[in-house]
Amino acid sequence: MGRGTVAVIAAVVISAVVVGSHAPGWSAPAPVTLGVLTPLSPPGDASAGQLIQRGAELGVQYINTVMGGLFGGKEGCPLPATQVRLAVEDDSGVPEKAVAGFRRLVSDDRAVAVWGAFHSSAMLAAAPLADQFMVPYISTQASAADVTGKHFAAVFRAHPIDPDRAAAWLGFIQAQGWHKIAMLAENTDYGIGLVEATKALIAAKKLDVTLDAVIFDRTSADLTPQLLKFKAAKPDLLLNVGVGTPAYLIVKQAHDVGLFPQAAMLGSYDFPVRPEYWKNLGPAGNYLAFISYYHPRMALSSFGKWAALEYAKRYHDVAIYANFNSFGDAVIVAEAMNQACSSDPKKIVAQLERGRFDTWIGGKVTFPRADGLSWHQWSPPMIILQYTQNDQTYDKAQILFPSAMKTGSYAAPH
Amino acid sequence: MDVILIAQYTLAGLVIGVIYCLMAVGITFIYSIMKMINWAMGEFYMIGGYLQYLLISTWLGPSRWYLALPLAVLGTGGLGMLLQRVLLQPMFVGQVERLDEYATIVTISLTVLLRNLAIVVFGPYQFSPRDYAPPVMLGPLPLNGSRLVAFLGTVVLLGAFAFVVRWTWFGRALRAAAQNRLGALTAGVNLPRLDMCAFGIGVGLAGAAGALLAPVFLVYPESGALSTVKGFEIIVIGGLGSIPGSILGGLLLGLVESLGSVFLSASFRDVYGFGLLLLLLVLRPAGLFGERAREA
Repeated sequence: MGRGTVAVIAAVVISAVVVGSHAPGWSAPAPVTLGVLTPLSPPGDASAGQLIQRGAELGVQYINTVMGGLFGGKEGCPLPATQVRLAVEDDSGVPEKAVAGFRRLVSDDRAVAVWGAFHSSAMLAAAPLADQFMVPYISTQASAADVTGKHFAAVFRAHPIDPDRAAAWLGFIQAQGWHKIAMLAENTDYGIGLVEATKALIAAKKLDVTLDAVIFDRTSADLTPQLLKFKAAKPDLLLNVGVGTPAYLIVKQAHDVGLFPQAAMLGSYDFPVRPEYWKNLGPAGNYLAFISYYHPRMALSSFGKWAALEYAKRYHDVAIYANFNSFGDAVIVAEAMNQACSSDPKKIVAQLERGRFDTWIGGKVTFPRADGLSWHQWSPPMIILQYTQNDQTYDKAQILFPSAMKTGSYAAPH
Repeated sequence: MDVILIAQYTLAGLVIGVIYCLMAVGITFIYSIMKMINWAMGEFYMIGGYLQYLLISTWLGPSRWYLALPLAVLGTGGLGMLLQRVLLQPMFVGQVERLDEYATIVTISLTVLLRNLAIVVFGPYQFSPRDYAPPVMLGPLPLNGSRLVAFLGTVVLLGAFAFVVRWTWFGRALRAAAQNRLGALTAGVNLPRLDMCAFGIGVGLAGAAGALLAPVFLVYPESGALSTVKGFEIIVIGGLGSIPGSILGGLLLGLVESLGSVFLSASFRDVYGFGLLLLLLVLRPAGLFGERAREA
């Protein structure tokens, strides 16, 4: 082979390499799609869905900017840095819509992980599909025991479960020395699950507490007869286990019939931290105690602080748990992909089971294959807050429980 | 059980029953005149609630809720007239062959359209104006001020409606159209205009219910869904086309729901109404005040 021939071959090879480096196979990898399936329209709690979506958008921003995308040497992963994009579906809190939404996210958008569930019934309907596709599905705020109790292979939860919630309010009830408890719960997996968990815990711990639980139809707008019945029984506390509109209706109508705040009321989740709470209820909302999973007095991790600042900058509002937890789910998924060095959903599932992940509230999150309800479960801390003034912001609300974090005692109207 | 407590449940049932009447009277009135069922009635209830909330929160202020009420009713009625003119009037001018199917498709489509428009315009959130009045005591029985206002407002509206239908020329024309449309036409009644007014009045009554109940049940895009179901239950109980039947049916439904949810189970509150409906269909298939009809 002459020199000229070698030179021509070398030129061809070099040209091929140069041209090839600009071909699709050599360019920046396509972004990985992450999915959010959350209620964005009624009858679901659309307000919660919007907060979750905002948190997810912040999470994606954090992954793409602060983390510099997925892979690219992180956790020793040699794959090129890859951006992520978000696909959002509305489940309306309706099981069949959740199933259709999950299918669209995985089949059409090619989402490699999904989170954002708020209504347990919707999540439980889509969970078998997650197992079928082996795409990780993380509960952002769905707390029914069955979500983890059914041991789905691809379903995870970084949110409290019913027994955690029941344990928190029974601890609070004991600390207050209350004995007579009324409970108005909606006829959903969440409401019925909480009634059962509370009854079971009272029986297991042999507590000196009588529980009068009534399950109402979630579509009912008039709960006055049940509230009048409770009023006649003079309970120490009414547990409000409504989600979305029913939660507001219980507070409003209990106030109308003179049951609340004469008797205490405890909301089963953190709906009072939302901006519309005082707008909807006005003075009728004062003195409500409620379960929450975050208070600005609690320490945030470094990226939790980033989320709080960025949220305030972007939405001119204070970030709440729904924002933080959805943000946290996005970051957990990204960490799992970096640790697995793969965006293959099956490998993400495997890594979620064995990995340890940072989150917004500090400490490490794990999703072990544990027994019972602890399967793929990590619970953030739970606190009980109370509003003591009209139009109070939640950072000013008193922390009543647990005692280690207590900033005030339960306040009753004079 | 305490007599006062039973009286409280009964009062709660009667108050809600009277309010149900407004919806049912609106549905049955439109059916009587236009011989069609308006499936979008609940959405006009929802629009009445939104208008009331908007007027109070942006213009009139909470203390002048009573000025907002007639405006919300007029606004809902006006929108109803416009929609009737554009979407439903073609039914009656020889442009449509299958009248019942046309009316059903148009009003069900309106349901979807209006509900989704509400989501787009106002978002999926709940809204509530402040209570219209402080709580009052009726003897030993406490009653929320807004419910009392809604109750009294409904009684006044139903009274005014009965007066117009019974004692005015316009009411006579409405009754004539209800009895025999062809006869009314030959007597010189402008039926297209009468239909438009009847539709406006019917949906105006639903809008009134929505505006009156805005502080009691909150306002949100799906707030009308349940009231539509109740309205249809009531008109079947009372007898399709019978206004006294709608009033009695509303009261009965309110009482059955209230007492059933306390003495039986709150989980099945809506089942009690359907139970009553089934019972009546067995005993009196035409409803309490309905008449058997024979079609050639």
